[in-house]
Amino acid sequence: MERDDIGGLLARVALKDRAAFSLLYGRISAKLFAICLRMLKDRGEAEEALQDVFVKIWHKAGTYTGAGDDAYPWLCAIVRYHCIDRLRARRPEGEDIEAAVDIADLAPDPEERAMLRSEGGRIDTCLEALDPDRALAVRQAYVEGLSYQELADHFAVPLNTMRTWLRRSLLKLRECMDEHA
Amino acid sequence: MSTPDQSKGDRSRDEVLAGEYVLGVLGGSERRQVEARLRHDRQFAAMVKRWEENLTQFNDDYAEATPPDQLLAKIEDRLFASAATGAVSKGNLWNSLLLWRGLSFASIAALGLVVGLDYAERIRPKPQAMLTAELAGENEAIALHARYDGSSGRLSFTPVATGGAEQRSLELWLVEGEQGPISLGVLPQTGQGELDVPENLRARLTQGVVLAVSLEPFGGSPTGQATGPVVALGEVRP
Repeated sequence: MERDDIGGLLARVALKDRAAFSLLYGRISAKLFAICLRMLKDRGEAEEALQDVFVKIWHKAGTYTGAGDDAYPWLCAIVRYHCIDRLRARRPEGEDIEAAVDIADLAPDPEERAMLRSEGGRIDTCLEALDPDRALAVRQAYVEGLSYQELADHFAVPLNTMRTWLRRSLLKLRECMDEHA
Repeated sequence: MSTPDQSKGDRSRDEVLAGEYVLGVLGGSERRQVEARLRHDRQFAAMVKRWEENLTQFNDDYAEATPPDQLLAKIEDRLFASAATGAVSKGNLWNSLLLWRGLSFASIAALGLVVGLDYAERIRPKPQAMLTAELAGENEAIALHARYDGSSGRLSFTPVATGGAEQRSLELWLVEGEQGPISLGVLPQTGQGELDVPENLRARLTQGVVLAVSLEPFGGSPTGQATGPVVALGEVRP
């Protein structure tokens, strides 16, 4: 897939260019549909979601103000967030997420810091600096759209443990990516 | 006042929250809260954008799956069938106004950009006397207030913000219904001067059309189609 043109197509879609919309669909619909299928795990709902997403893209293209090379992440974010919203609406959860985070407890210790700094800046490399289970949790949360509760169930740990895992992991990843930005 | 340590802690908390949002682990109501914050907290929005870019490599985990053949047709039906009956959705175009309103009028530049239309009455029935459009983008590059006086045929612009100035040109486009954009010309680099709307296009500048400004290479789009990001967009209305 050539990603270079996607930003240009988006700009034309913002100007209500239907031909560009059709081209954009041809270029990215297979990827976006795969995201819907993977997250929603239901073909009928994935088809509905993909329709909704392209309707959104038509209307929201004007709000894309990137330089062109970040159009692809922008589009993936739209479809992922749409699917996540559908998933969360399926099974409303009691949420007490505001369980306070003590950031000091979450920060990497000096040994971990040294390790993080020695790693490269790509997310894969930074993930390798994490405990394998925690790296997997981060990846599955993203790719499958799992909630904290689902992750906790999947890894058979208490909900709060999962929260701490994931938040610690995010801080470490942030540090690693920043070091090598 | 917060100590440096406290503010560092706040930043870490925000980074975690932004990461949680992008990963998708938050519940529905928390996602709404984050999205509400994204609309007014630029620094936080930048954190989210950075996570989106950092984690975009995970998108490689998704394979590709061809959607059913008729899906594009269904989407186009949803989008364009209603437009064909004249019910043009305004809502989304006007979403960008939120930002426009947020821009301080104190920043109104003293640039009076006047576009002389030399409106010829013989071309078509006279439109409403005064039409206006606010053209706004989300990246602060520029926002314009456009006023079109149907009786005098003058279209005037007031840039209400400029920023990120680059040696590039702003090109004005007319978007009619669902048709492709037509260039109305390149806005004067100085913000002062006149722009003649091509005679064959004057009749089309009526209520309901959309004016858009894109950022183009110096001198305007080389292809005749918008190539750069759209920095401002707005519908013409009475």
